[in-house]
Amino acid sequence: MKSRALLILVSCLALLLAAVLVGPRLEGAQGQFIVWQLRVPRVLVGMLVGGTLALVGAVFQALFQNPLATSDTVGTTAGATVGALFALVLDSSRTVQGLPLVTVCAFVGALSGSLLVASFASSRSAHSSDVLLAGIAVTLATSALASGIQYVSDSRALFAATQWSLGQLPQVGYRGVLLLAPLCALSCSLLLLLTRPLQAFALGEDLAHSQGVDVPRLRLFALGLGSLGVAACVAWCGPIAFVGLIVPHLVRRLLGSSYRVLLPMSLFVGAALLVSCDAFARLIVPGRELPVGIVTAALGAPTLVFLVARGRR
Amino acid sequence: MAELEFVDLSLKIGGRLLLDSITLRVAAGEFVALIGPNGAGKTTLLKTALALRRPSSGRVRVANVNAAELDARKRASLIAWLPQHIRAEEPVTGLQSVAAARYRFRESHAQSERAAERALARVGASAYAGRRVTELSGGERQRVAFACLIAQEAEILLFDEPANHLDPAQQLEVYRLLGELWREGRSILCINHDVNLLHHVGDAARLRVVGLRAGGLAFDAPFDSAALPAHLGELFGIELEAVRGSEQRFILPRARSQS
Repeated sequence: MKSRALLILVSCLALLLAAVLVGPRLEGAQGQFIVWQLRVPRVLVGMLVGGTLALVGAVFQALFQNPLATSDTVGTTAGATVGALFALVLDSSRTVQGLPLVTVCAFVGALSGSLLVASFASSRSAHSSDVLLAGIAVTLATSALASGIQYVSDSRALFAATQWSLGQLPQVGYRGVLLLAPLCALSCSLLLLLTRPLQAFALGEDLAHSQGVDVPRLRLFALGLGSLGVAACVAWCGPIAFVGLIVPHLVRRLLGSSYRVLLPMSLFVGAALLVSCDAFARLIVPGRELPVGIVTAALGAPTLVFLVARGRR
Repeated sequence: MAELEFVDLSLKIGGRLLLDSITLRVAAGEFVALIGPNGAGKTTLLKTALALRRPSSGRVRVANVNAAELDARKRASLIAWLPQHIRAEEPVTGLQSVAAARYRFRESHAQSERAAERALARVGASAYAGRRVTELSGGERQRVAFACLIAQEAEILLFDEPANHLDPAQQLEVYRLLGELWREGRSILCINHDVNLLHHVGDAARLRVVGLRAGGLAFDAPFDSAALPAHLGELFGIELEAVRGSEQRFILPRARSQS
């Protein structure tokens, strides 16, 4: 098992390195600029976003004891979508303190969506299934709100909103990396500290409670931290489908369900997967870039079916 | 040594009275068997002791502290639980499950694993240490959960039909183990359906049997009392008969005459 984990880790590093190097041949000062000012920061953003989405997915799946739970389930993405839409309709070119209005609004929307669910989750009497229902309710309510905004907006704003909702790694330079990194690092490092109580959840929430886990507090803590990291990611990149869902399943199949392994490995594999998908999206259509969200969705759906089918044996 | 006390405890959910002013004391180091028809409120009563259910009125006192006021880790040091059904959807191994049950201890992962190995060995489940709980049978999973309970090292132990899913040999083994834990000084409250299994706990003269019907107490009698067969017969609405074995008294249902 140890050597297998090591092998996966080495492959992740190789993929990350390859993602910087693949592409048209670059020479001279212009080549230097493309590699150091465009590709490297983009790979760094991809690592942060992919790792955060995958780790949060793994944590939420454990927390809700539901293999389909991700950050999408608890209203984070839905809130971000409404926020982004609002900004795009208002004025897509405006900035707040040098940050795009879309990013700021998406971040606020994502946090408000998940805080609504989290406030419900902190109730002493709420069970995990109730919290999932609250997440679905918030998602439905925000999508109604989003439809309302779409109804009154013009076609240019609608097109921009559709583009945003595909999910892509933006060219944000090192400034974007510096803004994203602290939030992702805070969220991920504190989530990794929850390994032990989450492991107790594996045989059921009630048993974990009887073993001394303060369930409402753990739920609030994990939801808050997870949403913070994901909100930052969604704000920059839009919703990137499937990374949070398939990476934990993939790692679980390969390395088992010890969360001491599953959580950190989800982080690494998520980072490598999203960066590789993005490199693929850069190269697949010559002269054009696909949004990486399309690649992860196209790759994710069959992978998930394959994993579930194999798991059933 | 800690005692568990239910004081005038009632629980009402959606207009239905699940527990009806129950007063029951499990003294430190006592063994009480809880018996009653399905839906009588036995499992619900255990859940109020774990603060999984909040009483509508009355109190549960664990080691003389109100159960709702106990800090989660502190509660886990006082009271542990073997549930009737064990969820198993996450493919964790037996060893990982039992090590996770040591949550209340502030110790290294290696220490948790060593304690988990001992607990698994004690219930004869060492063979399941490396196997995934999702691949175990109901009875095998029950034993892993039993090891979880032992690894938690609490003073009061709650069992919800511990012989469920088990073959006869394993049932005896489980009740013998209950007796061992009891003689080590634990207080035990154990839901069970077959009173005759209690013989395997040992010290029959010190056992108490409490009947629960429709959320209320039906009777509270020593295990060896002459009135127990009549109490149980009335509780379940069947005719029971005491049969004397070479060393023990068995309580068995009388076959209904064909007429």
